[in-house]
Amino acid sequence: MKSRLATGALAALLLLTAGAAAEPVSVAALRLSSSGPLFIAEEAGFFRGEGLEVTFRFFTAAQPVAVAVTTGDADFGVTGLTAGFYNLAGKGALKIIAAQSADVPGFHLSACLATPRAWDGGLRGLADFPGRSVGITQTGSTFHYMIGLLARKQGFDLARVRLVPLQSIPNMVSAFRGGQVDALILPSSVALPMLAREEAKLLGWVGDATPWQLGALFTSGRTAAERRPLVARFVRAYRRGAAAYHAAFNAVDAAGRPVPGPGHDAFLAILAKYTQQPAEQIRTGLPWVDPDGRLDVGDIHDQVAWWQAQKLVDPGVDAGLILDLGFVEGHRNVPR
Amino acid sequence: MSEARSVPFRGGGFVLRPRRGLSLAALAALLAAWQAATGSGWANPLFLPAPTTVAATLWELAASGALTEHLLASARRVALGWTLGTAAGLAVGLAMGIFSAARAAGLPLVSAIFPIPKIAVLPLFILWFGIGEPSKVATIAAGVFFPTVIAAFSGVDAVPRTLVRMGQSFGMPAWAIVAKIVVPGALPTVLAGFRISVAIAIILVVAAEMIGADAGLGAFVLTAGNLMRTDQLLAGVVVLSALGLAAAGLVSAAERLLLRWR
Amino acid sequence: MELLVEGVGHAFGALPVLEGVDLEVRAGEILSLIGPSGCGKSTLLAIMGGLLRPTRGRVAARGTPPAGCLNPFTYVFQDFALLPWRTVAGNVALALEHHPLSRAERRERVAAALSTIGLAEFARTYPGRLSGGMRQRVGIARALVVRPAVLLLDEPLSALDAQTRELLIEEFLALWQRDRTTAVHITHNLGEALRLADRIVVLSRRPGRIKATVAVDVPREGRTRPEAAGRIAALHAVLWDLLREEARAAARELAA
Repeated sequence: MKSRLATGALAALLLLTAGAAAEPVSVAALRLSSSGPLFIAEEAGFFRGEGLEVTFRFFTAAQPVAVAVTTGDADFGVTGLTAGFYNLAGKGALKIIAAQSADVPGFHLSACLATPRAWDGGLRGLADFPGRSVGITQTGSTFHYMIGLLARKQGFDLARVRLVPLQSIPNMVSAFRGGQVDALILPSSVALPMLAREEAKLLGWVGDATPWQLGALFTSGRTAAERRPLVARFVRAYRRGAAAYHAAFNAVDAAGRPVPGPGHDAFLAILAKYTQQPAEQIRTGLPWVDPDGRLDVGDIHDQVAWWQAQKLVDPGVDAGLILDLGFVEGHRNVPR
Repeated sequence: MSEARSVPFRGGGFVLRPRRGLSLAALAALLAAWQAATGSGWANPLFLPAPTTVAATLWELAASGALTEHLLASARRVALGWTLGTAAGLAVGLAMGIFSAARAAGLPLVSAIFPIPKIAVLPLFILWFGIGEPSKVATIAAGVFFPTVIAAFSGVDAVPRTLVRMGQSFGMPAWAIVAKIVVPGALPTVLAGFRISVAIAIILVVAAEMIGADAGLGAFVLTAGNLMRTDQLLAGVVVLSALGLAAAGLVSAAERLLLRWR
Repeated sequence: MELLVEGVGHAFGALPVLEGVDLEVRAGEILSLIGPSGCGKSTLLAIMGGLLRPTRGRVAARGTPPAGCLNPFTYVFQDFALLPWRTVAGNVALALEHHPLSRAERRERVAAALSTIGLAEFARTYPGRLSGGMRQRVGIARALVVRPAVLLLDEPLSALDAQTRELLIEEFLALWQRDRTTAVHITHNLGEALRLADRIVVLSRRPGRIKATVAVDVPREGRTRPEAAGRIAALHAVLWDLLREEARAAARELAA
């Protein structure tokens, strides 16, 4: 009895010292399923296992996430890659260290939609954009990049598409419903209900047409240079989260259709908690995440070059310098 | 008798005199401090570009013709939106100043609608007016309308009652009393209201150009912010503030012209 | 023209300010109304000129207005009621603009009115640059330009200093001698009433009633002469006896 009490006390003491030794880190993120690896790593104790005490700082747009990491208000950030991100990163402020979500075939993350009127007017496929208007959030956003990708893939001139910046997804939907724009690219969580109500016609999925590296995990240039062991511990835990996420949500059957993997329901509950969305709604739009946090490095070089060609990213930005590939092994498509 | 002492002077101060040189010096000191802060590395040039960088960016924009394009697009929207909002605001405000029924019906509506942030109802404006020029002009006009209504009926309230009685005592018809006594009497307050409404119009051009604008200072500033190009952002802000100064100058000129009698 | 006030009473809501006023303003006379503050003098004057509808009684006029009369009942205001954004000439012209006069005729009338009161050189001046006395001269010119049948003078000199008041009384009387326009004059200043009036009506404190009517039985032009001083002082004493208790009671009412 006495010895059991002592063992218990010792265990408690160990836990306490482990707790006291835990290093605090803050992570800036959006409440989206694509940040799932982070949420799983936190809930499954992967961060604590690395001796990290993670606090999340949530934002509602990609831009503030990058700014928070630049200013040191957060140690790490996870969000979509935008022209603004590259301009910040290009000044040495940010380093990309691992992958977040990617648009890949079979995983329906971003939908290209046409208004019924534009559909009747001949907008039937991804090559029919010239001469029409497409709503985006902002110049330099991921939505802007995706329509640029389609232009390259389908071989049309982006200058012949009227891009209409509308700042927010609700504004985009408003303009689309009012027939003010002919087409939109929307996250599946927003697009699927609109398709179900037949308010929109599906032109295709970005992942099927033009796969790309949508988001990334990044830290400040200073943290990457001065606190490498901490970054390594964080990335290790993050990759365990990514692996768990991938296994649960990115499994496919023989026909290539997504099927629930191990831990599916438990992890879905975690995502529901962090995104504050019903599990049923998240289930329809779970993005693909590389199980090892590996980046499509060549795609990031392509992104920077394309933005620079659009004169939206400073010509001095060097994609090689904003990537720190030392924390994850086996990055894909690395240019020589 | 003791020696006579002069009464101590206690009357100085509390008189404002124009000191033009000092205003310029304050501006110069601000710019110098700003330049010094960025040059010494005390302020991160990413967060606060040096004034020389901003000036260079401004020069590039001007040289490329982009500045003129943005400035013209915004100035046109401000002018049109302000004119429409002001015309409607004056009509409603004067009616509210003159007719008790209009006042009773209008005042609660104005008080209820004025504080609604126009940005919050932008999606509605898109549905009503589309994403072209009409919704932008409507946003500015809506922002200008309410302060103008308030300035107009406050201006009518400020017209001394005896002047209206004087008009009646000389048998002036109602329209003549309005045109010759009430409207000119309200003019100083209305012009003071213009100072505020032109500033609001310029503030709102940025909000208006959030939606579907490819040219305009507001769109330019927003894009610069999205792209994290802080030098362009500040250059745009400088031009917006110059536009505000120019508009305030026009109002001052109108005051000098219309209120010569003061 | 003469003016008949018949059983006029007035109340602002539940507050009675005038009660049972019967009064006859004779053609060509100057009638002064005096009374303590708040006795309803100004209300009565507003009723006489048709600016206020009395709750009881009526005001009637008898006789024909003078030739060229555009506005039979014309006021001169205590605070001058000038439009600060119009020049002196513009303020005088305001009274004519809504009447069918040719431009030349209007200009001629304005010029004549200004020169009779010595304002010709200030025609293009804004009221803001004029002294109080000059402003009231503009007010008088504006009243004369419409050739009134009855002048209603609402404490016209109360906002002016004593010397200016004296000058304006002399100038006004000199002008008045030409047309002898019927005039009703309100004041709280006994001396002013004794200089201008043929008869002085004393009103009681609120609600105002006619307490007495006193005829000033000294020829107007002789009232400042030393020989008249005794009679004027006696009239002053009579008026003050009538007013004293009313003024004291009114002041107490106002304090309460």
